[in-house]
Amino acid sequence: MNLRIAGMGWVTPLGRDIDPVWDRLIRGEEATAQPISDPITDKTYCAFRIPTEALKDLPPHPRLRRASAISRFAAAAGLDALAEARSTIGGIDVERMALVFAVSNGGVVYTKRFYHSVVESGAQSASPLLFPETVFNAPASHLAAILGIAGASYTLVGDGAVGALAIKMASDLLDNEAFDFCLVVGAEEADWLLCDAYHKWRLLKREPPIEPFHEPPRGMILSEGAGAVLLAREGTVQIDAIDAGGNFSERRKANEIVRRILHGLADEGACIIASANGTFVDLAERAAIEKELPKAIVYGPKPALGESVGASAVWQIIVAAEALRTKRLPQMLRAGGQVGLSFLAVDGGSWSKAIVLSCGLNQQVAGLRLSI
Amino acid sequence: MIFNELSGKTPASRVAVVAAGVISPLGIGLNETLTSLRGSKDCISPVARFDVEKCRCKTAGQISDQRLLGQPRNGRKNERLHRATRMMIAVFEEAFGQDPGFTPQLTVVGTTSGGMSFGEDYYRALHRHRGLRHSPGWIANYPPQKPVIHAQHAFGISAPCQVIANACASGTNAIGHAFECVRSGKYQQVLTGGYDALSELVFVGFDSLQAATPEKCRPFDRDRSGMVLGEGAAVLALENLESARARRACVLAEIIGYGISTDNHHLTQPDPSGSGPRRAMEQALQSANRSAEEVDYINAHGTATTFNDAAEGKAIAELFGKVPVSSTKSMIGHSLGAAGAIEAVICLAALKAQFLPPNINFRNPDPDLDLNIVANTARDARIDIVLSNSFGFGGTNASILIQKVAA
Repeated sequence: MNLRIAGMGWVTPLGRDIDPVWDRLIRGEEATAQPISDPITDKTYCAFRIPTEALKDLPPHPRLRRASAISRFAAAAGLDALAEARSTIGGIDVERMALVFAVSNGGVVYTKRFYHSVVESGAQSASPLLFPETVFNAPASHLAAILGIAGASYTLVGDGAVGALAIKMASDLLDNEAFDFCLVVGAEEADWLLCDAYHKWRLLKREPPIEPFHEPPRGMILSEGAGAVLLAREGTVQIDAIDAGGNFSERRKANEIVRRILHGLADEGACIIASANGTFVDLAERAAIEKELPKAIVYGPKPALGESVGASAVWQIIVAAEALRTKRLPQMLRAGGQVGLSFLAVDGGSWSKAIVLSCGLNQQVAGLRLSI
Repeated sequence: MIFNELSGKTPASRVAVVAAGVISPLGIGLNETLTSLRGSKDCISPVARFDVEKCRCKTAGQISDQRLLGQPRNGRKNERLHRATRMMIAVFEEAFGQDPGFTPQLTVVGTTSGGMSFGEDYYRALHRHRGLRHSPGWIANYPPQKPVIHAQHAFGISAPCQVIANACASGTNAIGHAFECVRSGKYQQVLTGGYDALSELVFVGFDSLQAATPEKCRPFDRDRSGMVLGEGAAVLALENLESARARRACVLAEIIGYGISTDNHHLTQPDPSGSGPRRAMEQALQSANRSAEEVDYINAHGTATTFNDAAEGKAIAELFGKVPVSSTKSMIGHSLGAAGAIEAVICLAALKAQFLPPNINFRNPDPDLDLNIVANTARDARIDIVLSNSFGFGGTNASILIQKVAA
């Protein structure tokens, strides 16, 4: 498998562009959560939102005029990934590029608005302008139109692991000699409805911080944004193994799959980029790491950036690539003190590989390994 | 762009369909489906699941709950599963009953809305401030990947699931991608298909666009006035042909080609030139190394909307001339993410029984579309290669070619 990262872009609650956000993570910063209120029940939750200035230089495009936030995040991340790739590997033939778009909740803001009017006033008030934006592949369609992709475009849906599954799909697509590039984009937008749903599902806490690896788990905070990686056959960072994992039937069995994946990807010289988010996921990852790679340095970006579900695994991959490129890792924020894992900040690390674990909240698990 | 130009490096594997399962308004299983197709059955009925009084369209192709719950492994203890999950369990039952030795390394399925009606239940309960005690179950089971994951667990299958949501092309995209995975030699066995259950949000959405008709669904007819929604599920077990023959699996047909294109004209409307569908069909032919003259039947996307049928019909007429064409959506409605998978199984049935499925409710040819429509009744025919089209919102176009296996 010759699968390399040729370009990356992200839009996160800590800002946009790879280097500035990476520097903030290295400095130990975490995003500021904003209150997000439920107008139906008057409950208030918190979420990490995208700062307005992050999208200020997003070029206008007719497709984005009425599009939901998720499409704008994805467009910004995708354009940045392509710009970086063009600066490092030169021209990119869009005709030989596929798009794989990972999403979990999708255009929830417009979906809720559309259905709210149906519930409130009846079917006759349903908006024909909103409905097309509720479809899962609307953001991918907008991005394809902006980039001029007229060939293969796939939207994959799933839980927090969907970004890793998208990388696997991209790897399969790049086996086809019709393609030289595959742009993988993960994106999500936050809304009070999602906060309420995850809270009722007992996975979300009302206020930050996310405290990873605490036992019992204390809950996650949602975030929003997008991540994009342009995969190609050239690039400094290689994805040298992908395990598309499987699906756990109940939460307590997640650790069996995480452990199996980590066993297959294990490398003594690797750091681990975990998906720990303050839920049962942390316990599954902790048990697997303790068993398979107990000495590895572990970092997880979610306490700083929040749980962005569809975007989260792509963010982790970007963090892993940055850890390999810069030989630095931030310190895991707010990790439980009694946990037997190594969470130290590292400057001048010796690792040449980074393992990304991606355990979703709704039964999917996958992982991959990057090298330099 | 030609798919799978393998440039002599790796010989492309042939891809067999070794088992299939289907549930749709035509019936449960291949046999009922075949009988209904042969009988040109109109399966559209008044919507019973939610209030459609204020909608223009009041009908859909539906599967009765009673029949769904009557399926093995779908009994009373599974009543709380989503209907899409129960549909998937039913089609797994049929497919794995045909080939219990099939153990997929990967599952690739399509859907547009998964368990959406659970999301609707949750929102309605929130809105009326009561009935929320069920909400954790609704929330956990509404995500689109859940029906296939639940079905896999019911059958002890642990393959990773790639769930494609490419709107109405999802099912054909899933089959096409699964085909490419087996054809590349990377996978021996891949399970593929699609599912969608009728949901109020989606129904009202299409109604708001005036894409749904208050009349009969008449694909390619001069007086077509729109689509009717449907629901269902189907799976196809794909396997490297050599491997299937080595273990003496029953080979139902071969998938031989796949094409995908993205039409950037508009989020919901196709380029009127038909260039998007045409590119997908051309790619499918190129991928199979076949010519248009070798195609014996086309199961069209044929939603019966003015714009879709015009663009698709133009592309078909230009590329295939007078090849027989039908849209089986006239009988069962448009089952969105399931449509491509159900229509692939309909193609399998047509190849097996050597007939052309009908395009019912057809009265007057559209003078702008020079097509050979299989009008109103099924016709016996010798067919070896069939093409199945699916096109969706977002401009996604997908076509697959299926070939009869020589006896």
